[in-house]
Amino acid sequence: MTATPRTLRPRSTRTSARRPVAAMVAGLAMVGGLLAACGGDSDDGGKKEYLIGFQGPLSGESQQLGINAYNGVLTAVELANQDSSLPFTLRIVASDDQGQPEQGPTAAQKLIDNSDLMAVVGPVFSGATKASEPLYSQAGLLSVSPSATNPTLTDLNFTSFYRVIAPDTVQGAGAAEYLAKAVRAKRVYSLDDRSEYGTGLSGAIERGLERARVPFTHDGINPTKDYTSQATKIMADGADAVYYSGYYPEFALLTKALRGKGYDGVILSGDGSNDDQFIRQAGAANAEGTLITCPCSDANSDPAAAGFVADYKKVNSGLKPGTYSGEAYDATNAIISVLREQGTGASRESVLSAFGKVDLPGVTKRIRFQRNGDVEGSTVYVYQVKDGQRTVLGPVSTLVKP
Amino acid sequence: MGSAEQISQLTIDGLMVGALYAVIALGYTLVYGVLQLINFAHSEVFMLGAFGGLFASRALVPDGGATPSGLASAGLVLFGLGVGALAGATAAYALERCAYRPLRRRGAPRLAYLISAIGASLFAFNLAGKEFGRQSVPVPELFTNGTVLTVFGAEISTQSLVIAASALMMLLAVDHLVAGTRLGQSIRAVAQDAECAGLMGVDVQKIIVATFVLGGLLAGAGGFLYAMTFNASYTMGFVPGIKAFTAAVLGGIGNVRGAVIGGLLLGLVESFGGYLFDASYKNVIAFAVLVAVLLVRPSGLLGTRLGRPA
Repeated sequence: MTATPRTLRPRSTRTSARRPVAAMVAGLAMVGGLLAACGGDSDDGGKKEYLIGFQGPLSGESQQLGINAYNGVLTAVELANQDSSLPFTLRIVASDDQGQPEQGPTAAQKLIDNSDLMAVVGPVFSGATKASEPLYSQAGLLSVSPSATNPTLTDLNFTSFYRVIAPDTVQGAGAAEYLAKAVRAKRVYSLDDRSEYGTGLSGAIERGLERARVPFTHDGINPTKDYTSQATKIMADGADAVYYSGYYPEFALLTKALRGKGYDGVILSGDGSNDDQFIRQAGAANAEGTLITCPCSDANSDPAAAGFVADYKKVNSGLKPGTYSGEAYDATNAIISVLREQGTGASRESVLSAFGKVDLPGVTKRIRFQRNGDVEGSTVYVYQVKDGQRTVLGPVSTLVKP
Repeated sequence: MGSAEQISQLTIDGLMVGALYAVIALGYTLVYGVLQLINFAHSEVFMLGAFGGLFASRALVPDGGATPSGLASAGLVLFGLGVGALAGATAAYALERCAYRPLRRRGAPRLAYLISAIGASLFAFNLAGKEFGRQSVPVPELFTNGTVLTVFGAEISTQSLVIAASALMMLLAVDHLVAGTRLGQSIRAVAQDAECAGLMGVDVQKIIVATFVLGGLLAGAGGFLYAMTFNASYTMGFVPGIKAFTAAVLGGIGNVRGAVIGGLLLGLVESFGGYLFDASYKNVIAFAVLVAVLLVRPSGLLGTRLGRPA
């Protein structure tokens, strides 16, 4: 058996999809090496070590979004460890939840049980966040999500949950406004993947469409591979725009099915599909012209984030930041800023109680929190696939025609 | 879109997926016919075939390159199918050699085969996940996909046509092979009575290997066709594998034509069920039909013996 797959793998297929993992492993090894180097002298008066947790999908179909975030955390931690003015060093403990709600609590418990751990960046996906937060709240361990956008997450009385990304109510309103005033859709087919994230986003969009008096059809489909009958259904509905609230592996297949059937309306999705893997998996020709909304700016094209992009590339062996990389970097830096104030006397309780007062100029936005843990204000950006590349069209506010 | 158009469209979609199920189902049915054994690792043969064809076409059509056309496209599709089939056959051979033959030599109980198959399946797809990455990988565009012809208002794309034509050829070839060649005669002989066939001079061991390889060829090529539409990933075998197994049981496991009819029927039921109710209920509807058919005809639509007239 072992011989078979080896003969099947030509050298050229060590694809880019594999490289992030390699970079991550290399990064882990690097951090590990650094710590091994200074681990010895921590007993004899060396720097104190704090652990920062990470929870997100590091394997499974949607791993790319988790890897993007992890690499952002890694960048912030690397920079902090190079800063000699800090009285401590940092180490990341990663816990893989595969983006699945069922695996969230186990992944969270693994981090909670590690008593040297001061705070967690994550969880990355909304479903896993909802499942994990009761444990974090109970343990009094701060968790800062770079990307969980389901609107209800901050209404559930979790006492240790913050997020540096705007909830989907903001994205949904922006997307609906864009559909109504820029796309000028006559009828919208709003399809979600029935996940915590998907239903939250589609609900927000539909409320916005109602306000804008754009007729729409709501539909949901659990993640699958075969979207052919769904595509037939969409075309029979006569909608001239389709908005999919879900993640890129499914959005890619849906786009492929729709374009394969000759659908010529506008196809859109949200931040869960905002990754180059979407273009790769749908095929460049099918993905061409697709629109993606995201409450996230693109660090690669933002001149103010050039320093971050350079650092990120240095730490992650030349990789460009992806969706949520900047947010994860900001979330980590917010945690580090609290630790910096508290020096070597920090505890889980002190970090959690001080975190709400953070005010930090981040690379994605100014990091300042409302009382419920939501980040203050945020802009929704629209991306489009042009010539096989994701490009930023701009914020919704500048794209809509009055 | 008028309703006749939709019915036509759903029929065509259903037949396309159904033809793929049929191609995979043949692997289950042939092996069951010969060994009375459900080869639960067949889904990984399908997956490895898909990756074989995918890597072969990727080596010839680089990322971001121009989409081939005309004869080059046809050649590339055939090449992908060929390599996929070969990869599937190799995997099926290795499976028989490593997971089944040692058990057969020792006269192991039936349950041991099942455990061995599940073990081989877990091993194969985890290895594939580790080696090929956990992300879905698309087959490069081998031809420009567009509408070729319209049947009762339904648009048939190049891709559907390629899949349907390839699957049909394979099904006809297998039917001919089993019904009308010496190898097919031997397979049928072993299926009816292995001991007796052995006494009559049929090399039973060789026929068993040939059956696995034949199933592997079909599943591998089917995997490549499937990946052209739905992308390839290390877990891709599971659901189509179960569906194909269902198709085989539906038609009457061990019966070649039964597998074809079962596959096509299952594809149609899924297509219409997914449209009329909810795409998420597709599997529920498919399995409800299976249960209903088995209640009425416990041996499947066409009965269970390989090579016997329906």
